[in-house]
Amino acid sequence: MEITVKPKANLLFSSYLLLFVIVGNQVGIGVMGFQRIIFREAGHDSWISVIIAGISTHLVAWVMLKTLDLYGSTDLYGIHEDVYGKWLGRIFSSLYIAFLLMGALIVLRNYIEVVQTWMFPDAPAWLFAVLLLFLMVYGVSGGIRVIVGFCFLSLFFTIWMLLLLIYPYQYAEWIYLSPVMEASMIQLLKGAKEMTLTIVGFEILYFIFPFLKEKEKAGRYTHLGLLLTTCCYLLIMIVSTIYYSEDQILQAIWTTFMMFNVIQLPFLERFEFVGISLWILAIMPNLLLYTWAATRGMKRIFQWKQKHALYLFTIVLFGVSIFLNTRLKINALNDFSGKFSFYIVYVYPFILFIIAWFRKWLKRKI
Amino acid sequence: MFFFRKKRGVSQNKQSSESSPDLKYIPSSKKEMEMVIKSVLQDDTDLVIKSLQHPGKELTLFYFSTLTDRKIIQKSILSVLQNLQAPSPSLEEIEASLPIGEVQVTESLDQVIQTLHNGWTLLHIEGKTNALLINTFGMKERGLTTPENESHVFGPQVSFNESLATNTGLIRKYIASPKLHNENLEVGKITRTKVSMLYIEGVASEQNVNTLRQRITELELDQLIDSSMLVQLIEDNSMSVFPQMMLTERPDRVSAFLLEGKLAVLVDGSPYAIVCPSTFIEFFQTSEDYYVRWNMATFVRMLRMIAMFLSIFFTPVYVASLTFHYEVIPSALLVPLAQSRAKVPFPPLFEALLLELIIEFLREAGARLPTKVGQTMGIVGGIVIGQAAVQAGFTSNILIIIVALGALSSFTTPSYMMGTTIRIIRFPMILLAGIWGGFGIMFGFCFLLIHLLRQSSLGSPYLEPFYPIRLRDLQNSVVRMPFPFFSKRMVLTRAEDKGKFNAKRAKQKKDIDE
Repeated sequence: MEITVKPKANLLFSSYLLLFVIVGNQVGIGVMGFQRIIFREAGHDSWISVIIAGISTHLVAWVMLKTLDLYGSTDLYGIHEDVYGKWLGRIFSSLYIAFLLMGALIVLRNYIEVVQTWMFPDAPAWLFAVLLLFLMVYGVSGGIRVIVGFCFLSLFFTIWMLLLLIYPYQYAEWIYLSPVMEASMIQLLKGAKEMTLTIVGFEILYFIFPFLKEKEKAGRYTHLGLLLTTCCYLLIMIVSTIYYSEDQILQAIWTTFMMFNVIQLPFLERFEFVGISLWILAIMPNLLLYTWAATRGMKRIFQWKQKHALYLFTIVLFGVSIFLNTRLKINALNDFSGKFSFYIVYVYPFILFIIAWFRKWLKRKI
Repeated sequence: MFFFRKKRGVSQNKQSSESSPDLKYIPSSKKEMEMVIKSVLQDDTDLVIKSLQHPGKELTLFYFSTLTDRKIIQKSILSVLQNLQAPSPSLEEIEASLPIGEVQVTESLDQVIQTLHNGWTLLHIEGKTNALLINTFGMKERGLTTPENESHVFGPQVSFNESLATNTGLIRKYIASPKLHNENLEVGKITRTKVSMLYIEGVASEQNVNTLRQRITELELDQLIDSSMLVQLIEDNSMSVFPQMMLTERPDRVSAFLLEGKLAVLVDGSPYAIVCPSTFIEFFQTSEDYYVRWNMATFVRMLRMIAMFLSIFFTPVYVASLTFHYEVIPSALLVPLAQSRAKVPFPPLFEALLLELIIEFLREAGARLPTKVGQTMGIVGGIVIGQAAVQAGFTSNILIIIVALGALSSFTTPSYMMGTTIRIIRFPMILLAGIWGGFGIMFGFCFLLIHLLRQSSLGSPYLEPFYPIRLRDLQNSVVRMPFPFFSKRMVLTRAEDKGKFNAKRAKQKKDIDE
């Protein structure tokens, strides 16, 4: 396996699109109901936890970019091979592929659950899985340019929904936010840790990096993207806190969509039905990017055809999503992946950077 | 299938099947020549062989009476030849005395046979192995009329006709520049259809020209009747429902596109020019957008975009909300909806499909009917079906409004091809909405989005300028900015000469009281 990746010129895309990739992959299923989980830990100071989590993403992304800069133009698979050697590298890369697939699985399964709960209680889960996976296969086989294009366009079709927060804002009680800083530092950090599932997704940087036209601009757009996501989350968190009472927020599962209840237009009520349907545009980038990165890994490590890997992963995702048929199982998956993601996304980049840097340093010495 | 793309490197097999195998050159004796021509052309009754007795030499004319202009042959050839004074004129002398511009000397029999079919006349001289070919082509062609399918209120009112020469001339009239190149190609083994590729040298990108030329010349088919067939063969993805190259009947539009650095293809016998590369949004633009003021044009363009979305999503949304999500309908709206649907025995999906089908029947029947009968269509469609369907309790009044609005919106799309595409897309969307409600609609929308992202036109992204985002082309997409903004050519065409005029001087602003 070549450690550096030099994609063909027609596959490269402009760096500003990285912003949309980062946001597209971060915003997904978590934003539908992350408020309750954080609120459990940090109470009405949850918005501070969101800020802490946001700052931490900048730190991690900075380390990721530093690691990638050591190599010039490569992805995580190349770094693994260089750092750990062939066999250990393959094991680590395979683990990471599993992690990526789990990301796709969580988005897929949770979205299906939302659709089932709100819109079609009687429809079977496998049906929606087939439809979503069909879109995924069609998109991923279009290649990275199509995927990035989808991230780009989908943001424009969904971001206007932030404006709808004006409706719950009309019922805001600012007093709910005070007293500020009632929660202890530990509680705030715990709350921030609970944000993991919602805020991860920027690790896609590791895989998309070689496809950037101007790699030196990657940092700027990554951080802009992270900032945008954090601002969105912060806004949603604050509005939720001042809209719901403490008891309500602890009971609402899909807090964000519940807020849409108050929207009333002359031709439209119960906006959450529209919102949930539109949300397919927000979860597709997750599915596309995670699966693309995973199939790319199979190509890079095992020299598979990316198409074959795509078909295999589609079948795997389908099988597992059928197996996860109860709320308990899905919850267990979410909890597990939350912890798993925390170590992979937040801890591992630091370790990898230190090892990679140390190896480079050793080589230079010799 | 009558065509397939030829592999590169295979040489063209040249015209051998049509001429007699043993003769490649023109025989010197008249009798032999007559025999050869007759053997090749069998017994075509419209072939005329006319011999002239001239002192010393025997001159023979061969031509198709159906393809040639009788006046030219009588006045410019026969009378001249009869009045020839020289005792035994040479070929050059005859050529000089003919008052006709296009005259060629040839020895090849193949060329003779081919040009005879293009309306040329062969002048054979006894005892000589080379002969004269004279262009006497004259066929009645349809006069230049106003554009029927792309009719405008403002702007030039002329459209192409079926003659390649006239069509090329129309474009040359708009672009009187030596830089306008006209490359002649030939497609179809039997039909030998003349195809012209037009572009402006130094403006059109070299790479695009080469790609298009390669795509046309590598086609191997035996017939080509119309440019709308050619466009399906040279498109990037002929499986897609979306047209990827523009077909237009307006010479002013083709000229404007050529000046942006695009390429045009004209096919003999077709009143439509192919223009490429094109983008999705261009199918929703007209040349009239440039003839009216910019704010008007912008308004109309936005109107068309709204109409497109309405046309695709309005009926599906109705079906989805009535079948699954009646919660989203406000109670004030629910009452009239329920009242109008109270008598309807069908589920919304069936009701909508029925009405959409009726509209499509009406449209198709209207397009096929002779104009005199066409007037009855309005009565049949409007009164009988519309009124009666509601009274009979087959459909609801509200759905008729929605479906009619959708149909109306789809006709605002200026390009006929794109309008048809949009109407076709509606049916799967209604089905999806009827089966999976809002989720189904969004599934269809995502599919369309991915599909459009995957398409390209002559290698250029189809969804440009939205993705990849190009600010300069965005100024001329859903909006049409004033002309001072268009100082550069489109990014899409990768034009070699990018500038049109000096932007700074155009945008110079005056101070107060200057």
